[in-house]
Amino acid sequence: MNHLDDDAELYALGLTDRERDAEIEAHLAECDACRARVVAAESAAAALAATLPPMPGAAPRRAWWTTAATAAALVFAATTAFESTTAHTASERLTRTDTALGAIASSHFGHTTLTSDPGVVAKALYSRDGSWVYVVANNAPPGAHVVLRSGASSRDLGALDAGAPATLFVRAPGRAAEIDVVAGDRVVAHGVPAY
Amino acid sequence: MARPHASAELTLVEARPMALDEPAFDLAYRAYAPRLRAVAYDVVRDRDAAEDVVHGALVRVWSGGSYRPERGALLPFLIACVRREAFDTLRAAKRRHLREVRAADDPVVPDETAAIDPVETRRVRRALDALPESQRDVIMRAYYGHRTLVEVAQDTNTPLGTVKSRLAGALRRLHTTLSGEFSS
Repeated sequence: MNHLDDDAELYALGLTDRERDAEIEAHLAECDACRARVVAAESAAAALAATLPPMPGAAPRRAWWTTAATAAALVFAATTAFESTTAHTASERLTRTDTALGAIASSHFGHTTLTSDPGVVAKALYSRDGSWVYVVANNAPPGAHVVLRSGASSRDLGALDAGAPATLFVRAPGRAAEIDVVAGDRVVAHGVPAY
Repeated sequence: MARPHASAELTLVEARPMALDEPAFDLAYRAYAPRLRAVAYDVVRDRDAAEDVVHGALVRVWSGGSYRPERGALLPFLIACVRREAFDTLRAAKRRHLREVRAADDPVVPDETAAIDPVETRRVRRALDALPESQRDVIMRAYYGHRTLVEVAQDTNTPLGTVKSRLAGALRRLHTTLSGEFSS
């Protein structure tokens, strides 16, 4: 394949189209010169990015439903639920949380934003091997359940908790074709995981 | 040094580019999320969509193993990934007509009093001012004015290929200027 030329800089700015990106990335894997050129361009693009204003209202807003750390905290809670309640030191806790985060980061999880009723914001994180699923929802009706469906069969995983956001973490749910959040008979959020 | 533009505050993650594993994900998120959100928001102009873009890009990077340390510093790589993801989201939104396609802004000179990194912004402004007018103009329109390259070509009555090469040239020159300033 030919060298990237100006596409190196356009790629660094996100301005090449997706079909072209696949070619570019294949080329970068084997061409030191073009990789160096993209790295330089990304460095300049990062300098431009530093001149942007912060996202409005972003500072105090922890992105609860978009962080793997949130899921890690859940795994941490789930895995330590039956352990002794003896206080752990802060560093022990940190190590454990890191380990849980590692389990998630290395277990090839996917995520999908569920299509939902207006006002409801819901998201599912799930391991690709079906060993856990974690659903988070903002403004879901109280008592809404998470239901997994595959073909004609469905499995009710239980109710979201009463938190804001409402969450539900379930181990070994298997790999369902669809994830729904259901209130009464109504599906208020729906998503299709991609394993 | 291959990473002239990295800020000191980010050395925690920069120092361990090999560790693209568990804790690194969280460290990277904490260290970079404000900048990555700013990049995503600049493109999609919607806070929830911007959060999604950042998360989607990070998950893709971590689960896809696309980052290699020999590519250089992590942050510029992530910023590029986030911009690509954000443009994808914007295109999808336009296709589905889910969101009003946002109007292009007037190009604004980067404002260091409002920027996420005021010190870097001053350097970048000087570097922008030093560009040839044709290159500066295309950066202002395409990057700060949020015009597509096709729109820039139409607006300036310039062939698309010329717009692309001017923009690429502008970025190369910015890099040269900013790295030179750093090392001197």
